[in-house]
Amino acid sequence: MPPDNLTRLSIAEAGDLLRRRALSPVELTRAYLDRIRRLDPDLLAYITVLPDEALAAATAVEQEIARGQYRGPLHGIPIALKDLVMTRGVRTTCGSRILRDWVPDADATVARRLADAGAILLGKLNMHEFAYGPTGVNPHYGTCRNPWDRHRIAGGSSSGSGVAVAAELAAGALGTDTGGSVRIPAALCGIVGLKPTYGRVSRAGVIPLAWSLDHVGPMTRTVTDAALLLQVLAGRDPADPTTSAVPVPDYRRALQGEVRGLRLGLPKDLFFERVDPEVRIAVQAAARSLEGLGAVVEEIPLPKIHHAGPASFAIIASEAMAYHEPYLRARAEEYGEDVRARLTTGQFVLAHQYLKAQRARQVIRAEVDAALTRVDALLTPTTPVPAPRLDERELTVEGVTEDARWWLIRCTRPINLTGHPALSVPCGLTAAGLPIGLQLVGRLFDEATLLRLGHAFQAVSPARDLRPPLNS
Amino acid sequence: MTSVSIQLLQALTQELSGIPARPGDLAIAATQLGPQLDGLARLDDLELLAVEPATILVPSSRAPHAA
Repeated sequence: MPPDNLTRLSIAEAGDLLRRRALSPVELTRAYLDRIRRLDPDLLAYITVLPDEALAAATAVEQEIARGQYRGPLHGIPIALKDLVMTRGVRTTCGSRILRDWVPDADATVARRLADAGAILLGKLNMHEFAYGPTGVNPHYGTCRNPWDRHRIAGGSSSGSGVAVAAELAAGALGTDTGGSVRIPAALCGIVGLKPTYGRVSRAGVIPLAWSLDHVGPMTRTVTDAALLLQVLAGRDPADPTTSAVPVPDYRRALQGEVRGLRLGLPKDLFFERVDPEVRIAVQAAARSLEGLGAVVEEIPLPKIHHAGPASFAIIASEAMAYHEPYLRARAEEYGEDVRARLTTGQFVLAHQYLKAQRARQVIRAEVDAALTRVDALLTPTTPVPAPRLDERELTVEGVTEDARWWLIRCTRPINLTGHPALSVPCGLTAAGLPIGLQLVGRLFDEATLLRLGHAFQAVSPARDLRPPLNS
Repeated sequence: MTSVSIQLLQALTQELSGIPARPGDLAIAATQLGPQLDGLARLDDLELLAVEPATILVPSSRAPHAA
């Protein structure tokens, strides 16, 4: 099979071939490394590529599989990690100048779980500095280019993860999501991104942005692949006391469940207010597709969700400031301008305002919980706009002009506040050829229903086989 | 909309937090803070008197931790 055909394989497809020894993990890894060498100087998805280490790991995997020691569907699969996931012996920059040369002496739990499952680490991925921004603009390592249009942002903060998966520079990747940073680049790059329930996946060894809002999640080309990654990542971790002991189901088996009879809520409040017309049409068409599969769609009110914005602001600003205070005191000049200014703002949020936000959070979460007793999932746009141009600071939708960053996070950050799981699935392209994302929000710890819905939708979606127009 | 002066932020950062800040960053902070302070004030509409804050260690009332 030609190398570029190998990188088109999904994780599930490649894993099946690897298991049957019909594909060599060395051959697969070489195909990805070759594509990274050809395309990444332009796309800038990677901060650190590990060709020697990846090939050595692939050789070891090949020998293991030959001996009959097959570990499971990630064994021999080339993946990459957002560069805030600690990797023993490999620098972890967090997209910053401050940590440019920092080499951790231990792996994050999620990195270790992927390695234990036999995944092969291709490298560490570009990101918005310290994960504090939804654009992926990075003054230290260059700004990732959206593979659908190089003049547009990839979305952030897991920008490199979105680009690497969309451009077939990795079979799958990990991102983190504090206000949408898995789902936004997934939507803008035309891939699948899953923010699990808060407490479902360990954050131990992942450099924080805001402890109570941070989530780690998979970014893949198919919903099936997201399920395979989540299966390995999910579960209680003694190193992260916020992880839960709620049992981890068989996510792949859950994909096969029925969609018929599932109830979907369209929350008109916030999520469908001021949405780009092409995004609105695509998301409404997705709702009709799910209706065609037997789901029942109804409108659902969420009037308190409007308060999520300021509550999220107070929490993220305060927690980020608390983490960064030592660096701001000693090394402020090493931050990029946008991140330093945002961090500076955090010192002016008062303690009682932070606590008010954490109290409001309970009320907003309760409202979403109540809605999810009426329906099985909520259906919204992931972002109300497609990928902005690199030079666009403000966007106007339905006559309202706002900062591009606020448009990008509007539909995603409320779900970080509530902690519910949320899945972004591609649902179409604009006339200009830019991907559009559909967001599904589920009950706490019910990722299985989201994956089932996403998988069923992807099977009938017009966006299921779309690939970015890369010249190679 | 609430207006926040750069001079006030300068005084706070110098006299309370002690974290050095550049005038340009303070100007951006002042711009960002105004609408957010309004939004934070409106959280009172949620009638929070009997509500305790969410804590980091309890992700969900339905998420019991392992023994």
